[in-house]
Amino acid sequence: MDVLHNLARLGFFAATLVTLAAAVMVVTLRNIFHCALALILVLLGVAATYISLKAEFFAVIQILLYVGAIMTLVIFAIMLTSRIGDKTVLQNNRQGLMSFSLLALFNAFFIGSVIKTSWHLNPAAMTANVDAGVLGAAFMNEYVFPFEIISVVLIVALVGAIILGRSDQ
Amino acid sequence: MFGFGVLKGMSVTLWNFILSYVYPKKGITTVQYPEQKKEVEERFRNFPFLVYEGAPDNMRCVACDICSKECPPKCIYIIPEKDAQGRVQKKPATFDIDYAICMNCGICEEVCPFDAIFMDHEYELAEYERLSSLLYHKEDLLKPVEHFAKIRPTDYGRIEATRAAKGVKGRAQPVAGAPPKPAETQQSPPATS
Amino acid sequence: METSESIFVVIKKAILGFFHGFLPDWTVVIISILISVTAIVIFGPVTMMFLTWLERKVVGRIQNRYGPNRAGIFGLLQPIADGVKMLTKEDIVPRAADKVTHFLAPVIVVIPALLVFSVLPFGRGMAAVNLNVGLLFFLAVSTMSTIAIFMGSWGSRNKFSLLGGMRAVAQMVSYEIPMVMSVVPVILVTGSLSMVSIVEAQLGGKWFVLTPWGFFGAIVFFLCGVAEVNRTPFDLPEGESEIIAGFHTEYSGMKFALFYMAEFMSAFAIAGLTATLFFGGWDGPLLPSWLWFLVKSYAMIFIMIWFRGTLPRFRIDQLMGFAWKLLLPFALLNIFVAALWQMLPAPKNLIVSGIAEAVILVIVFFASRKDSPKKRTYVFAD
Repeated sequence: MDVLHNLARLGFFAATLVTLAAAVMVVTLRNIFHCALALILVLLGVAATYISLKAEFFAVIQILLYVGAIMTLVIFAIMLTSRIGDKTVLQNNRQGLMSFSLLALFNAFFIGSVIKTSWHLNPAAMTANVDAGVLGAAFMNEYVFPFEIISVVLIVALVGAIILGRSDQ
Repeated sequence: MFGFGVLKGMSVTLWNFILSYVYPKKGITTVQYPEQKKEVEERFRNFPFLVYEGAPDNMRCVACDICSKECPPKCIYIIPEKDAQGRVQKKPATFDIDYAICMNCGICEEVCPFDAIFMDHEYELAEYERLSSLLYHKEDLLKPVEHFAKIRPTDYGRIEATRAAKGVKGRAQPVAGAPPKPAETQQSPPATS
Repeated sequence: METSESIFVVIKKAILGFFHGFLPDWTVVIISILISVTAIVIFGPVTMMFLTWLERKVVGRIQNRYGPNRAGIFGLLQPIADGVKMLTKEDIVPRAADKVTHFLAPVIVVIPALLVFSVLPFGRGMAAVNLNVGLLFFLAVSTMSTIAIFMGSWGSRNKFSLLGGMRAVAQMVSYEIPMVMSVVPVILVTGSLSMVSIVEAQLGGKWFVLTPWGFFGAIVFFLCGVAEVNRTPFDLPEGESEIIAGFHTEYSGMKFALFYMAEFMSAFAIAGLTATLFFGGWDGPLLPSWLWFLVKSYAMIFIMIWFRGTLPRFRIDQLMGFAWKLLLPFALLNIFVAALWQMLPAPKNLIVSGIAEAVILVIVFFASRKDSPKKRTYVFAD
């Protein structure tokens, strides 16, 4: 069984690697439609990472929402843009060096803090089987207020979108 | 009401589906072609053929070349037979029809003064080769007059009656005089049978 | 009876037992996975081949024809002839096409169609993976075919393909919502997202389709499913008469066959899912469980083909109106009825939820009547 465990670990690393490679592709590819496809690959890689961490529910929701819905809308938005694969569009500007150094600084802090923090592991949470039922109960009992607030915000956004999109006014 | 039209349509198609199994005679209208064939109508006309009486040698055609001249796509090619002295005989040596070019207009049958060429009921002419195999020669085109009587009995009866009235018997004799064209112009096409 | 019931499970166990004799444990696990994967990878395309035959046969019978009957007995070898034809056809890639996208689209479109089979319970203990979020997995993975269709339509660099792709995306995004909403009552009553437990909740003839909410939920779900796989009343993305063949206009040979295959496999998956969620899955008397599943799935497939033989294509505004104005409110209110059914004690709930369903049906019907297709008036005819 040890081999299987190692295989699963290999799967995790493969998923991470694919995710990172696809993320690099998202920012470097010239054709914006290809960028969107690479972004889908990133999201799928994240879903695969979730699965390797035994969070199937999140993985599935990730695919359903991000790949199924949001990326579809992103692609729709891309179709409305002009110059999808134009070679004359600049991909970087002159502030590259500055932003890169700032990013390096931030990452140094970030990685340093991740390494320095002693992560307190909760053994109960490690073994708990968090499925959709538990999550739903938590939303409806403990976290009902933030849940409802999010619902209201979404409904406001929906109504706003409908008003903006109305053609007869 | 919205929705019920859909159900009505679906019941019709389901009924067709069931009927095709329980009562194929009414439920299925397909003719399984190579095994079953539809009877062709008597007035169906497709590709000309030459008529002979008795033996293939005794053909009605006198190589007058009228059909060849009238043919719109010019698919008929006739060379009359010549005797030893080189005199033209009233008989074709070569009579070719290129079925690949023929357009089934039936003008050859209309114009023929000797009732020698008629439209056939043949329709299975598929060939693997498109030049020589669809070029029909005299031997391929000759069919007995009984064949014509069989496929188009009405036309046969009418034409034989006019021939008998004019005293035409078999081939040749009256042709010695002038071609009896005007007398025979109201031949087959206006037939209303 | 007992052996036929579990024949596939027994065969798999026998193979595993054979390998267990001389191989380490972990290889046996991998072999077990491989057997399941192989079974699905064979089952999918074979089903697709059979479905093409069945569709042509049934549509033929509906149109008073025989359908294919030349290749083999009853024309059963027709799919093989078609496959040979597809394989030997020239593979054409348009010069202006985006080569990578154009190539990848038919490959990717098959993946979700095959993946969804992994969570379908084909019989007692015959789900390849008993995922505890199986239903969501099914819905999530099937949405990925949208991306593949869009890749194909965009990569072809053809305006008809692009129009077809746009239609496909708009349609699939719209119909996904009532589809998921119509599944919620099942989850509500079962209390689980696992397909196996959903079937187990219906064991002994307590099929959800026999309840008021289940009956209408099944109709909504099935219609949305037909729309999701772009089959006939909803086949705007590939409308032959308007946009040639939509997203697969520029595909030929085996690439086209892959699109075709994905469509038929998804159709079967939707049929199987409808059978699982509302018609008791593999539950049934006398016959072995897997046969019951196949019988129910093929009944659903027959209805799809029947639709195809009967109904003309929707117009795009009718299509959208049908999803947003009729199916979505109805599916939402159906959740409420299912909650009533679940909360009330046994004999009362049938009456109450039945009345509630009827009231909702009438309300939705009259509310959406304004938008329902008008009877066409002809100016010059009649």
